[in-house]
Amino acid sequence: MNGFDINTIIYLLEIIVGGLLVGIGVHFVPVGGAPAAMAQATGIGTGTVQLAAGSGLTGLLAAGLMMSVTDNLWLILASGAVGAGIMMGSTMLTGSWIYAYAVGVPFASAKVNYDPITGFSQPPYVAQGTVGQGIPTICFASGLIGGAMGGLGGAMIYYPLYLINGNAALSAVFAIGIFLVNAVLASWNIQGTIEGFHDPKFKKWPFAFRACTIASVLLAIAAVLITGGA
Amino acid sequence: MSLGGGAGGAPTAIDPKKLRLYGLVGSIVGIYLGAILNSALDTNLFSFIGAVAAIFAVLLGANSVRRICAYGIGTGVPSIGMLALGMGVIAMMFGLSIAEALGFGMLGPVIILVYAGVFGYIIGVIANKVIKFNIPVMEEGNADLSMAGALALLGWSFAISGTLGYADILNDVLKTGYIAIIFIAGGLAILHPFNANLGPDEKQDRTLVNAVMCSGIAMITTGIAALLTQGLAPGLLQLVIGFAIWYYFFRMYYRLVKRDAAAVVGTGLLPPTVQ
Repeated sequence: MNGFDINTIIYLLEIIVGGLLVGIGVHFVPVGGAPAAMAQATGIGTGTVQLAAGSGLTGLLAAGLMMSVTDNLWLILASGAVGAGIMMGSTMLTGSWIYAYAVGVPFASAKVNYDPITGFSQPPYVAQGTVGQGIPTICFASGLIGGAMGGLGGAMIYYPLYLINGNAALSAVFAIGIFLVNAVLASWNIQGTIEGFHDPKFKKWPFAFRACTIASVLLAIAAVLITGGA
Repeated sequence: MSLGGGAGGAPTAIDPKKLRLYGLVGSIVGIYLGAILNSALDTNLFSFIGAVAAIFAVLLGANSVRRICAYGIGTGVPSIGMLALGMGVIAMMFGLSIAEALGFGMLGPVIILVYAGVFGYIIGVIANKVIKFNIPVMEEGNADLSMAGALALLGWSFAISGTLGYADILNDVLKTGYIAIIFIAGGLAILHPFNANLGPDEKQDRTLVNAVMCSGIAMITTGIAALLTQGLAPGLLQLVIGFAIWYYFFRMYYRLVKRDAAAVVGTGLLPPTVQ
């Protein structure tokens, strides 16, 4: 670290905003957990942290790749966001194929009566005893936003870290650490499963915002103090 | 939840305070012992002590996962294991870097321990106060988890690099990508035991034996990495010891599973289906 100056404050802010984007982005991803794996709930059949880590790591890789050819912040951030969005989109798409053609369930959300995007009626298709199945259009759209936000956050954490210590491996590992802490705090906030931004649970995001702010500030302070080694 | 341990032939559960003491002292002393022996005798042979020291930290971590998750956190046990490793890796790099900057490389583990403890405690407070979990053991459990994750990662990193030097660990563990392996192997050792054994008949000794078993697997992986970073002798030593630990505790775990199971029966081959 080369002394405390205005750049350090910018780095701090970037890391904090990145952490917040991760924390809020988690709320957009249709996480179904174990019930979704059995097609008894809407969303992707795995846990929040796995999905958030997946999108974040893809964002990191995409951002790192872009960073090797340019140092334009906007291009790097866009690359991270698009990369993670594609990762989340392809996960949902292939997941949908399995739900549609292998499990054989109609996609329906139990949280809304009409899909806000397509306008299709949902309740007739929700099987009894379940809370929806598959990945309806609204969840897919929400998941794309969530994935892009996660990737944007990952890139936004990675970029200042790399500028601080100049060590790609260290920056990536440190970014993963920051990412996991924020993603887990957010996933605790949604208590396991969520459908997307139309889910009533989404209204809980301010709690995650506060929690991730405190955690990100602490992490950012640690991050700007470390060096890239000899 | 049988948090008290006890019934059915299982010994009474070890007190978490005692286990925390064993875990922290065991791993710190182990890491220092390995580092001092390695540098004093100018060899890499004692790197395996780092992986042994990590077992103590893993025991502490697995026990606090067990304590927190017994309340039910709604997101699955793996999330908290990943949180432990996430906090741990940050504390590890922060501590090593600061120790190096201060000029006392050997101070690293102590700084890591302090930062991890404080940070974990704050995360616990956030979880209880902001996210409103209201789990009584959340604060101390998260502090334990954070310290356990950091010390376990440090132990394994030392087992791979053979020194506690910041630049060496950066080059041997992070740059080579072995950090990803110990991250997941470590996650397995800390989060998997409770995830595999949870339920109304969960017993502390069975869960912790499972944790040691997984640490043996982690030690095998660090042994393979050490083969490439430190050479044949230190790597092979770790591999053999890791395999011995895994084998011994796998047998022990199987015995405990049979003890706690209502019945263990062989099903034989599937009967031929009649169409």
